[in-house]
Amino acid sequence: MKTTKIKANKKADEKQKTILEMLKSHGAKIYTDLDNGQFPKFSIPSRSVSNIVYDKKFRQYILGNSAALRSSRNSSQLRSFTQLIWLAFFANRLTHEKKSSTLRDVYYSSQAFAIEFDDQSESDNIIVDLEAVTSRPREDFHIFPEERSSIFGDLTIEYTIPGYEGKRMNLANHPDGYSIGPSLTTAELVDTSAEIVIAIEKGGLFTRFVEEQVDKKFKSIIINTGGQAPRSTRTLLKRLHDEMGLPVIVLTDGDVYGEHIAMVIKSGSANAAHLRELTVPDAKWVGVWATDIEKYKLPTIPMTESDIKRCHDLKNDPRYQEGIWKKELDVFLRIKRKAELEAFSKYGLTNITDKYLPQKLELARSL
Amino acid sequence: MSSIEEKFNQISPSEFFYSNRDLAGFSNPTRSLYTAVREFVENALDACDQKGILPDVHLIIKAVDPEKPDPKHYILTVRDNGPGIDAEHIPPAFGTVLYGSKFGLKQARGMFGLGATMAILYGQITTNKPVIVKSSSDGEIQNYFEILLDIQKNKPIILKHTTTNISKKGLSVSICLEGDYSKAGTKIRDYVYETSLITPYASITFDDPKGQKFTHKRFVRDIPPPPTIIRPHPHGIDVERIRRMIVESQFDIPTIDDAMIRKVKKDLGLKNSSFTSIMTKAEKKWKKLTRQVRVVVALISFLKMDLDKLNKIKIEDLDIPNKKLIYWDFGDSQSKSVDMDPESQYYKQLTNTVQGEPLTTFLTKRFQRVGPTTAVKFAEFAKLKPERRMGTLNNQELAQLSDSLQKFDDFMVPDSSCLAPLGDTPLEKGIKKFFNPDFTAVIQRPPSAYSGFPFIIEMGIAYGGDIKSGGPHVYRYANRIPLLYDEGSDVVLKVVNDIDWGRYKVKGDPPFIIVSHICSTRIPYKTAGKENVADRQEIERELRLALQFLSRKLSAFMSKKGQAEMAKKRANLYAKYMPMIAEFCTELAGKKKMPDYKKMLDMDHTVQLKISEEAKIENN
Repeated sequence: MKTTKIKANKKADEKQKTILEMLKSHGAKIYTDLDNGQFPKFSIPSRSVSNIVYDKKFRQYILGNSAALRSSRNSSQLRSFTQLIWLAFFANRLTHEKKSSTLRDVYYSSQAFAIEFDDQSESDNIIVDLEAVTSRPREDFHIFPEERSSIFGDLTIEYTIPGYEGKRMNLANHPDGYSIGPSLTTAELVDTSAEIVIAIEKGGLFTRFVEEQVDKKFKSIIINTGGQAPRSTRTLLKRLHDEMGLPVIVLTDGDVYGEHIAMVIKSGSANAAHLRELTVPDAKWVGVWATDIEKYKLPTIPMTESDIKRCHDLKNDPRYQEGIWKKELDVFLRIKRKAELEAFSKYGLTNITDKYLPQKLELARSL
Repeated sequence: MSSIEEKFNQISPSEFFYSNRDLAGFSNPTRSLYTAVREFVENALDACDQKGILPDVHLIIKAVDPEKPDPKHYILTVRDNGPGIDAEHIPPAFGTVLYGSKFGLKQARGMFGLGATMAILYGQITTNKPVIVKSSSDGEIQNYFEILLDIQKNKPIILKHTTTNISKKGLSVSICLEGDYSKAGTKIRDYVYETSLITPYASITFDDPKGQKFTHKRFVRDIPPPPTIIRPHPHGIDVERIRRMIVESQFDIPTIDDAMIRKVKKDLGLKNSSFTSIMTKAEKKWKKLTRQVRVVVALISFLKMDLDKLNKIKIEDLDIPNKKLIYWDFGDSQSKSVDMDPESQYYKQLTNTVQGEPLTTFLTKRFQRVGPTTAVKFAEFAKLKPERRMGTLNNQELAQLSDSLQKFDDFMVPDSSCLAPLGDTPLEKGIKKFFNPDFTAVIQRPPSAYSGFPFIIEMGIAYGGDIKSGGPHVYRYANRIPLLYDEGSDVVLKVVNDIDWGRYKVKGDPPFIIVSHICSTRIPYKTAGKENVADRQEIERELRLALQFLSRKLSAFMSKKGQAEMAKKRANLYAKYMPMIAEFCTELAGKKKMPDYKKMLDMDHTVQLKISEEAKIENN
């Protein structure tokens, strides 16, 4: 018990140290440049579409070799250069003092330093720039999105954030679930009795699953992704898989967007191509499949134009060229109809947990 | 037929102009007041220019009854320090239409003083008041005239003439006319202002009816060289002009009376008046003799008479086709004739006199830049014999000649010595004084010609300073007259509007002006109102070349200006951001002392680096 505590803190400290070292080395380089009368610059990997390639080995999108130079010599880049160095400076403080911040908080904090951002999307962009320069997710710098996803189940964690260091918590103690925020993301995963992680797209179904004690019935940890899973949630999913050895299954609406939510958990998004370690390549999408719609005779609504367009877009994605991904996509395109997870309510409110889920869990083992 | 001719004859030029006054710019009280101002001011400036006098022109407009609403009667006075006009010429000059001193081919603001007479005529028609002229041509005595114009007879009526002693030369003309200053005021003030820009060697003062004084002092003391009067160019001539030139070249056989005989005696220095001594003396002194004496000698050579006998006959006819000289002998009271030897030099003298010059002589003597070779070549082109006497051409042949003069391409380009451009230095000085600009460029194009009329384009461009934004503002001049009306259809505007200013780095709402001056013996105005110049191809081309030249200069200035602005902007950016970068990286690097970044704020340093970087990019 004591050893794990020390181990957990040591791990977190080491990570903090690496981050701080890295930021310092960037700062030192700029400092030296200025001292020598040179214009400091950053090399930022290009995130343009042409530089995003699918890597079969990593089973995710990664950035190619092309990089853009952001130089303080170029007066048109001076402003964004200053924003970037300020962010590094701010991230350094956050990491140093183990304080957390959100994307929005960063935007507002900038004003205290006379750094101008036209809007939050500009500051969000600079944050992605810092991620690209350092190849680290913003969470490493204690910058988090506004939380909207949550977790429930028998999982004991140990906090590493200041003031809570060493404190443990079991995530089955509160039926509303626990929101996946900075403290949870940075916590050490200590113990669990669960044998599987069920990521579910919708808050409504998440609550139903908790009520129906899916965690107990199926020895699972339930995670509500709240639509497209945020990075911190994906990081947590990865850690549950890697550190706790839990398989991850994904349950989404029966439409093309749902299929892609599952895909992003499995292999990341093009938007985060500059980052690794956000993917759970072994994650399995178990439904609702297009074939389920026919199989379970689910009530459907017709696909919209944009649904269909999305299908065609994904058909060009290298990840959708084989297996279940390709097959289901083709069926969606053929039937041109979609179904919600709630569609199972047609057969009773608990139908989904009583009938559908067990079948799918069974199936997942063979996938 | 004859009755119609009689009717025509009854219309005097005065009447003609009265009924066509719209054409001359006297269509309404507003325009008329403006036109009258123009005519008198331009006459004053022309008079001074011709005598090389630095003009002092004083323009006064006064309301007869200031309380009345416009349009109302105004007294318009223009006073100058010019050469004045002799007393004897004043009544015809101001009381006759088509009387003037501005004949001959050279650049002048107006033609024949016609406009001034029109203004007088207009004043008389609208107010029934005489023109008041005060003139001194010797600087001692001033003649005071009050003159009305007899419109039907086209004759002056002198109401009053007095003389006083005075100490200054000059002319003052005063008319009373109906006008509308409240509407014409802006244009008149613009006119005075713009005139002083193109006439920097003149001082112009304007007292307006509201008691305001506008003074434009001369700021250049050199009058541009006055134009020389030159012969016309063949391309710029019409049938009527040729006819008048032929008449000028022909002479009548002089009347042989006592006075003429005395003159011949004196000029030849005759002691006795025998035939042989006349001929010997004449041969010796031929070159010094006047035309009249030469003709008399030529007649004597065929009559073989002494002066006494000559006094008793009268020459009746010179029958060139039959080579006979016919005269009336008072002594015998009968008509007699003698044969003339066509080989004789005296025969040539006589035929020259009555039939005019041969075509080639006519061309070389009376036109500019036509040599004997060209004249012969032209004769062939026109299908006329080179030795053909001008006086013997019929109407059809005249038309043929006129037509050929237009079409013949081998004439040299017109002589431009008759032009008086302002010159680039005074133009530049004027622009600088008027607009106090950040940038000025001027150009005087080499002379060119259209349809036989030479012309020169002068142009200036200026940017910034006191110039209002929203440019280009175009100041148009023709023969030193500002053109204020009808700019929409003017060739200068057309050329300016054709320019893509963006290409010359002039963007947005730029503060810049263009001054364009066309000098020509004949400006091709589109209308009789003389306010807009027609788009003759040759003129358009010269304007375009001038403007392109200036635009390139402006472009160079703009890019320098742009660079300076950019450098300043950049320096400001660095001054703002560098301390921030320094501050953040100091903490980030875990240092206490700020890096020495201040040297990077040195503008030259950043500009230098920037330039070398740009050069690199360009090379790549």
